This record gives sequence, C-alpha cells and structure tokens, in this order.
Amino acid sequence: MFAIDKSPEGNVVISGRLDAAQAPTAQAFLDQIDGTVTLDCRGLEYISSAGLGVLLKTQKRLLAAGGKLRLAGVSRHLQDIFGYSGFDRLFEIEPAK
Amino acid sequence: MNSRTRPRRLSSRDLHTILDVTSALAAPFDLMTMLGAVVAAAKQVLNADRGSVWLHDPATGELVLEVATGLKPVRVPFGVGLVGACGRDRQMINVPDCYADPRFDQGIDRASGYRTRCMLTLPLIDHKGGLVGVMQVLNKKGGVFDADDEALATALAAQCAVALQRVRMTEAVIDGERMRQALEMARDVQMSTLPATMPVLPGYEVCGSSRPAELTGGDTFDLALLERGLLIVLGDATGHGIAPALSVTQMHAMLRVAFGLGADLDIAYVEVNNRLAETLPADRFITAFIGLLDPATHRLRFQSGGQGPILVFHATTGTWASHRPTSFPLGAMPLSKVQPAISIALEPGDILVLLSDGFYEHRNTGGDAFGEARVRELVAAHRASSMRELLAALQHGVDVFGGGAPQEDDMTAVLVRRDARGTASRTFARSFDALPAIFEFTSGEFARQRIDVGLLPTVDLAVEELFTNLVKYSKGTEAEVRIALAGLPRGVEVTLTDYDVEPFDVTKAPDVDVSLPIEQRSPGGLGLHLIRKLMDSVEYEYSRESRESRITLRKTLSGA
Repeated sequence: MFAIDKSPEGNVVISGRLDAAQAPTAQAFLDQIDGTVTLDCRGLEYISSAGLGVLLKTQKRLLAAGGKLRLAGVSRHLQDIFGYSGFDRLFEIEPAK
Repeated sequence: MNSRTRPRRLSSRDLHTILDVTSALAAPFDLMTMLGAVVAAAKQVLNADRGSVWLHDPATGELVLEVATGLKPVRVPFGVGLVGACGRDRQMINVPDCYADPRFDQGIDRASGYRTRCMLTLPLIDHKGGLVGVMQVLNKKGGVFDADDEALATALAAQCAVALQRVRMTEAVIDGERMRQALEMARDVQMSTLPATMPVLPGYEVCGSSRPAELTGGDTFDLALLERGLLIVLGDATGHGIAPALSVTQMHAMLRVAFGLGADLDIAYVEVNNRLAETLPADRFITAFIGLLDPATHRLRFQSGGQGPILVFHATTGTWASHRPTSFPLGAMPLSKVQPAISIALEPGDILVLLSDGFYEHRNTGGDAFGEARVRELVAAHRASSMRELLAALQHGVDVFGGGAPQEDDMTAVLVRRDARGTASRTFARSFDALPAIFEFTSGEFARQRIDVGLLPTVDLAVEELFTNLVKYSKGTEAEVRIALAGLPRGVEVTLTDYDVEPFDVTKAPDVDVSLPIEQRSPGGLGLHLIRKLMDSVEYEYSRESRESRITLRKTLSGA
C-alpha cells in the first residue's frame, strides 16, 4: 500500500497512501536523508496532514543544513492540498506530466 | 470466541439438554456448588467421563483446580501443559489422543491410576472478555470429541463463565448489609448480562439501554450478532426486587445459548417458555419480545409473549405499524406449540421501537401516564437523528413529563433502524489502527453507491483528519465512532458521530496562516484547515442529552 525507497538515481520514491498510520514509517526513512533530495511523488495517491507534517519536519531539517527537499511528479489532487496548505511556498513543486 | 466449526442443526434433544443445564446454572449461590454444577453440566452436555474447572487466580497468574472428580488440588502457571496453554492463548484445545501430545502431563494419570484418552480444554471468558478459568472434559463416552462437541462446548463455556462470575460477585457481597447489598447484587447481575457494546450490523443502526429503577424491576434486553442475523430481545419480569432480576437473567442466558447454537425461533420460544413455567413461582411471568433480523433480506421474525406494543415507524411515509403480542407471557403456563413467528419487512429508514412499561406507564405527579402517543411523537421528530440521540430524547421526554416523579419501574429500550436509502454507516474502534477499515468502507461505499471516484481522496482526507482528531482529543471515552456516507446528486455527504464526549466545534478552530515563513510553520491545525478549504460545507452539532458530537461534510463535483 505505502512504500518509500531510494531510486538508482538517488531520488526518494514515495508511493501509495501516506496517512496517519504510515507517517511514522515515512518519517523514519526521511530522517536518514541529507543534502538536496528530490521526492518522486508520481506514485503518491494520497496524503493527509500527518504526511504533510513529515514533509515539513524534513524540509526544516534539510534547509537548516543547507539542503532541501524538492517535490516532483505531483498530481492535480496533491497540488490542491499543497496549495491550500501553503506548502507551494515552502517547497519547489514540479507537477506531474 | 468464535468456534471455527459451524454449529450443527441443533436437535430438539440437544436444545433440551443445554437449556436444562443453563437453567441449573442459574440456581447455585456459592462457589463450590457452582463448580460442581458446571462440571456436571459439562459432563452431561458433552457425554464425557470426567471434567474439571480451573479458576484463574489473577494475583499469581496461575490456574487453580478447585474441583476435579478424583484429583488433588493443584496450581498450574500460564503456558504449562494443556490447561496453561489454553489459559494463555484463550483458545479451545481438542486433543484426540493425549499420550501422543507432548503438552499432556502423564504424571497426573500415574498418580491417580486413571487413563486419559481424549480431552477437550476450553477457556472460560466472561462478558467483559476477562479470563475466569479453564474447563476441561475427559474421555468422551464411545469416541473422541468432534466438531459438534466443540460447538456445544463453546456455547456451554460462555454460560459457565458468566455463571461463575455471578457467584463470585454474590460471594463478595454475602457478608455485607444483606438486604440492600443483595438487591444491588441482583441488579448488578441483571445489568452485567446486558450487551456492553452495540453490535455492528451493516445497513442498520441499533441501540439498547436499560435504566434500572430504585427497586430493580426485572427488565432485560439483548442485541447480539449471530451467524444468521441479529437477535433482538426485550423482556420484563413481573414484580420488583431480586427474584425478577434473576429470572430475566436466566431467560436472557437461555435465549443466548439456544440462538447461539442455531435453534429455530418457534421451537426455542416453546422450550424457554416451558423451562420458565417449571422454574418460576406460579404468580410470576416474563413478558418478552424475541426477534431475529436477517440483514440480507431485511425480514424481522418475532415472537412476543405479552410484550407490546411492537412499533415500527415507516420513515418514508411517516406512518406507523403496531403489532400485537403473539402469545401470553413466558413462564405463565407450559405450551405444546406456538403459532408461527410473525415476519415483517423493514424498509429503508424504518425504525423498530421496543420499550418496556417503564416508559409507557411512567406517571407524572398528576397521575397521567406517558403513553404511546408521546413516544410516537418523539420518534417521528427524531427520525433523522442517531438512535442514541433518539434514546436520549425518549428518556429526557419521560423525565420532563414526570416532573420529578420517582422512576418506579425499569426503563428499557431497544431501537433498530434500517439505514435510509442511499446511506450506509459503520462504527469504528477509536484507534489509528481503524484507518485501513475506514478507507475500505469509504471506497466500498463509493463503488456501491456509484459516487464519483474523483471525490474519494478528498473525502478520505476529511474523514482521516476528523477521525484522528477524535482519537487524539476525546480521551475520556472508549465509545466507537460512527461514520455514515450518503451519495448526493453529483456529490457526497459524510457524517461522523462521536459519542460520550465534550463539545468541540471543529468549525470554530482557528485558521492556519499559510503565508508564514517555514520556521514559524507547524503541522498543528492543518487538518481542519484543509477540510474547510476542500469541502463545500462543514457543519457541527452537539447534543447535550446524548453527549454526542456530529460533524456533517458535503462535497459536490465542481464544474471543472
């Protein structure tokens, strides 16, 4: 259902449903990454505020260390969520093609 | 506990035996007699040569053998041997050949000179899920214990657990202020058999409650999910005090056993009636509605011994059907047969209303009774409310009408509503672990009600945010959360109902400033903020009577 892993190109690929039950798994994985990282969201079907909290915490940590999290392959529905949350001001967002 | 085996079609003789036993278990009031009765019952029902009951000692975590025909008292820790394994795992263990099972302690046979062939070991679990002990029967006459025996034993074990628990409660008060405590004990026994949680029946909302009078009045009800549907019982024994409280408890137990084993409604009615006729004093009887609702066909079949009116409110037309009892009260005299059960169909939105006399006959200081007309008015006015809310309104209505007159009789209610057309609802445990089941429910209802699937992620988000909020902040309650989903033209309406809570108006939660720089942003409040942005409307209602919060969300497809 939910999966998060590194791609061969060094991106982080996230897919499935990032809900309150899965947020701790995502947080544990993202706590391990450093630098500037692209999060490939093409397979991400769903995110709730618990998932947004994970992204926010990760972004704060990376920015403080001079890196950042980029969000790529963001679907229309996710763009709405990021927009209403003001996350489009906090993240570089690349819409899905 | 669910037996993995399907109960066989219960023969009339089996039903006879098991009701005999259930009846016998209602009598003893001290632990040693009760243990003897339980062992005798197990041997009789399962045709076994020997039996024993091990009581759970929560202080040491051991199982203690207080009664065993021919054996010395002994203590066994959890996990040791068959008894210890059964106590630890709370699973029935059926061993056809004990000497081939490494868990079997051959030393006991060597000490006693008895040869154990086969053995059935069952956990005794009370209504609240606590381990009371372990029951063991040895050496079935003429064979080994089979799947039929397992089903019978499971039903019997449930009865034995409750009976043992009852005796422990009795013994605990026996030394105290006798009369007052005995009355309280009788009421506790009576109340302890009532369902602690309401069963979840897809397509229905059910609610039952019993509010005892000062001098306990002998009401009972049951709402239990069985393999073939919902068992619905509302009963009222004549008189006040200990005897009626215990006789309805006995009837309650017999009905649970009979229907749990798959008994036919009409046959069980006659058998239970005749058993009560034998045991109740000549001047006592019990009025009772006993029904089985098949949620697949929406047919309710019932017998009613003197319990009425049986009201059904047809929500779509606003009209009422009132059914009369099918027979005289239970236990009044033996029956050889009964007229076939009445069968009625519940249409979408219909509400079955069963109330004990305590409602209808509650008198105000002027001597007027509350009556059926006021009940009908309140039900019609609350046709769209939850059943808990309707129940609270009925209780409140009686209290206001009574104007401070004391409650003279138990007030017991059973309300069953079939979901209105196009809505479905389910209740979920108050835990993050319920999220997968919730998403399964929403996606299932989207498919079934043909709601545009493009709205599903938005609806899931709103439901998750509200649900996780309730889990996090409504600490004082264990009640389940109800989620209802109804298709609208080009849209959907979702209702979350949170029971037994303080009010918290989600629409009044402060908005999140999304323009703040990142160091000032926090995830707090984001969920409710998103709901208000994504949904067309969010409404909040709170009922003080039923301490119930209800949040209604609507979303329709925009032109885009």
